[in-house]
Amino acid sequence: MTIEANDLEHYYGTELILKGISLSIKSDSFTVIVGESGSGKTTLLSVLSTLLRPTSGSIRYDDKNIYNIDNIDIFRRNSIGFVFQFHYLISYLSLRENISLAVLDKYKHSVDPLMNQLGISHLTKRYSDEVSGGERQRAAIARALINRPKIVFADEPTGNLDTKNAIGVYELFRQFRNEGIGFVVASHDKKILEYADCIIEMEDGHVKQITQR
Amino acid sequence: MVIALKALSKNKFKTTLIFISMVISIMAIFLISAIADGVVGMYSAMLKTDGDIVVTQKGVADTFFSDINRSIGQSIAKIQGVKSISSLVLGAAPVNKLPIVGIYGVSQNRFNSYKLKSGHYPKAGEVLLGYKIYQTLNQPSFVNISKKIFRVSGTFESKIGFEDGGVVMNIDEAGDIFHKNASILLVSVKNIQDGLSITKKINAISNEIEAKTADSFIDSYNQFKIIKTSSDVISILALTMGVIGIVSMMSMVVNDRKAEFGIMRSIGLSSWGIINELLIETIIIAIVAYIVAFGASELVLDLIKQVDKFQGYINGEITFALALKVGIVSLLMALLGAFMPAIYASRIDPMSLIQRGES
Repeated sequence: MTIEANDLEHYYGTELILKGISLSIKSDSFTVIVGESGSGKTTLLSVLSTLLRPTSGSIRYDDKNIYNIDNIDIFRRNSIGFVFQFHYLISYLSLRENISLAVLDKYKHSVDPLMNQLGISHLTKRYSDEVSGGERQRAAIARALINRPKIVFADEPTGNLDTKNAIGVYELFRQFRNEGIGFVVASHDKKILEYADCIIEMEDGHVKQITQR
Repeated sequence: MVIALKALSKNKFKTTLIFISMVISIMAIFLISAIADGVVGMYSAMLKTDGDIVVTQKGVADTFFSDINRSIGQSIAKIQGVKSISSLVLGAAPVNKLPIVGIYGVSQNRFNSYKLKSGHYPKAGEVLLGYKIYQTLNQPSFVNISKKIFRVSGTFESKIGFEDGGVVMNIDEAGDIFHKNASILLVSVKNIQDGLSITKKINAISNEIEAKTADSFIDSYNQFKIIKTSSDVISILALTMGVIGIVSMMSMVVNDRKAEFGIMRSIGLSSWGIINELLIETIIIAIVAYIVAFGASELVLDLIKQVDKFQGYINGEITFALALKVGIVSLLMALLGAFMPAIYASRIDPMSLIQRGES
């Protein structure tokens, strides 16, 4: 699958955050979006991932304009995963219930194996405030991966983690990328660049440079 | 369902506020409807006792103001199909310490519709007391009605609160008190199918009277219309207040949980999924609130029955039909109250919800 953005512009109020961005991303790649704070990384990631509708411009997934898709929620559930800087686990649900929240029927049996693969199988009944930051983020990653999406978008996924846990998360991304799931990650952390196939450098709402490896 | 219960448990304070708001609204609807139905039901039952046809003064809206000559009953008795006729003077007057009590002056042939508990049916200068008023007045031997003293001949028991809290006497003596010959005539017919044709024949006797079948009389009785309309208006206001309460609280709940709904949307739960989630939560509260309101209303109605001050005149009962109606109204209240906040939550871009919600 290829994601194509064409002339994206997005305003927050009167402030123009994305200034005519056009780019193409292959869903089986490990793409990293870098840039200073306020450069538009998170907004670009949100727009590319269908979470935020841009003020103007279009997004195509395999030549299909996503704003013409009948049910974007179903499309998102089937094809896209998300990992956020703050884990955003729902506090009153156990880790297992969080991961299962939007699981498709055909993947219900995969919840426990996936938790095992991510090293959190012993935490199924624990709540997010009962586990460590690294464990929370692993649960959030499991939630993003449970429906075997084609691509996962991650916004500063290691922003709240120490170096050891951050590298653990990158290794997990690489492991799942090798299984065919693509990643688009917005990050400040330079260590992630070692894992990237493609680096998109943002500056003041523009794409300054795209580097393919 | 499990998720909804956990969400409600997590947001205890606001859940409790929504719950209290709903209980009060549902109780208000239960109580006003039960009391209004009770008043109408009691009076209807009283009229229907040996009364298939009700005869009143023509053009008078209230039976208490009706004044007819009971000699007209002799002409009615000649109509084929008429079984019996009883006459009543209906009035209200102070009795001992009680400021207002229902007084029923009745013809001799109606006495046996009052089930004696003690003593005998009243003769001249005597009255029969309903058991409730007998107890309220501390079992008196004599009572003072409109400055006249009457001996208490006995007591009777009636499920009709107006009768149980009232005084029965001979029609002539009641006529002297209220300055009328009779308020109404109650006509019993041999075959109820003939009711309508007999009614027409009664109306043909005199243009000063108006006869209606009991059901038709009850349907058109202005006092009942006023009571029912008042009850409906208060019920609608209670429903509206309940809906506004839920909308307010659910709007706050949605605001508090924006991040949560944003996450749900981002991982693929549909807008309808979010709406559904909020509706289920509100319906759960509504069901529990309904059960609690039902129990509390039964308790309040029972307490009201025990209060001497009301003399048994307020005798509400929650019938199956009322319980069903209020159950449907409660669900409607929950759905109306939760729908707008839920729609609002479901229509915002998930990213906006996440960024504006709590982390």
